[in-house]
Amino acid sequence: MPGDSDLIYLDYAATTPLDPAVAARMQSVQSRAYFNPSSNHIGGRRSAAVVQEAAEQLAALLNVDPTSIVWTSGATEANNLAIMGAARQREHRGRHLVTMRTEHKAVTDVFRQLEKQGFDVSWLVPDEDGSLPADRFEAALRDDTQLASIMHINNETGAVQDIAKLGAICKERGVLFHVDAAQSVGKVAIDIAKVPVDLLSLTAHKFYGPKGAGALFVASGTPLIPQMFGGGQQRRIRPGTLAVDLIAGLGMAASVAATRHQDDLRHVAALKSRLLEGIRDIDGLQVNGPLLGGYPGILNVGVADIDGESLLLALEPLCVATGSACNSQSQEPSYVLRALGRSDREAQSAIRFSLGRQTSSEDIERAVEIYRNAVQKLRDLAPEWVA
Amino acid sequence: MSADPYNHAVRAYFANTEHCGDVPGGAVGFFQDQGMRVRLSAEVRDGVITRLLFRALGCPHLIAAAEAVCRQFEGQSASALEQFASGQIMRELAVPVEKTGRILALEDTVRSLGQAVQDRLSTTQD
Repeated sequence: MPGDSDLIYLDYAATTPLDPAVAARMQSVQSRAYFNPSSNHIGGRRSAAVVQEAAEQLAALLNVDPTSIVWTSGATEANNLAIMGAARQREHRGRHLVTMRTEHKAVTDVFRQLEKQGFDVSWLVPDEDGSLPADRFEAALRDDTQLASIMHINNETGAVQDIAKLGAICKERGVLFHVDAAQSVGKVAIDIAKVPVDLLSLTAHKFYGPKGAGALFVASGTPLIPQMFGGGQQRRIRPGTLAVDLIAGLGMAASVAATRHQDDLRHVAALKSRLLEGIRDIDGLQVNGPLLGGYPGILNVGVADIDGESLLLALEPLCVATGSACNSQSQEPSYVLRALGRSDREAQSAIRFSLGRQTSSEDIERAVEIYRNAVQKLRDLAPEWVA
Repeated sequence: MSADPYNHAVRAYFANTEHCGDVPGGAVGFFQDQGMRVRLSAEVRDGVITRLLFRALGCPHLIAAAEAVCRQFEGQSASALEQFASGQIMRELAVPVEKTGRILALEDTVRSLGQAVQDRLSTTQD
């Protein structure tokens, strides 16, 4: 395997490195405010102040009240709490729920679980570019619909949903609206004061914060049934001792993002443009997701008749993601790409490049060269399909 | 951290597929399904395999195994092809159990190549 110094990291949708300001903040908190923020002594109050500051930093990024933030261990937990908690809380009114086939597993698996518990879920299919037309969404809502959950930016394709429009529809119909914003918070502007969202999940490590810290925005007047029990923290919605250093890191990441995300967007947009320009003449290259209007930090491409696992190995030392959910146990092609109409063979060859703050032009030039060579090598190896 | 799914042998064969290609006019063994394809072609002189090349579409273990087969059989008696068993290669490449089927498909392809070689030899002798 290539050594660490040779790696070219283009998997920012999976996770991001810690911002130096975040690392410094966490280190400071670990040594100075390691106390339990629920403790009534001076140390506890110091930690509680750290948590409060982080809530204010995150609230400023989202333009919400700090008291609307519920800390979690990440987006998966936030999604579980939002979807399970809201669906169960409102089930006496109705048991119909709406989501998309292209949501992250942290959402789809929760809905599958609710289906097993007797809920009726409508699984909406997006257009070929990954976008969900508002009229299709509205048509899926019924009188007994209680909750809709739509992700903001798709983690595989970069498709962006119009959450302002979908949220307005939900508000008009009295349906709770949850947004999985794991890929968008800290990367694109989200002003919740202007977007009618009831619940919004996020995680720190997708925007240069630490792993293990996330949050759920809960709009005022949105009751949730807790999914965990064992203490009175966070108004009993999500009990448990708060990870003060991780939360401080999340807050600092939010603070950095508030000042940097526009520059970050311009940076990744220029790099993505160069990346696509460098590979678009490859015979049979297919862009999975939107060519225009998507999040510019993600480019998902595929070429027919190439095995995704072999492509991933041939691409080393690039750190990218395959479009297949393939691991040693499973060769199942990406359900997201299949929902966009890609065949299994097309989905198998998909590669997701995701770019970030530290990605350089040199990284992109190397990525273009390595990708072109890898595709050529595997095409040279492959025999013709015999009909 | 997940362990490297490929051992040194897989990486070495995958990086050096020197037996990639087709033997023009050679005997052929071929297998395909939706997930993989493999084609072996051989040149045989006096019952000895003088060239054995492959083409493959599939996972790194399959490609490595195909390269290993080609290296193993060049210079060997063609009659050995029909006796080929993939156990040794599976061990050398530490093929995970869920990929066993692919290597067995390669085994079938090697044997079908052996049959094709024998068919040619018997046709020549006739």
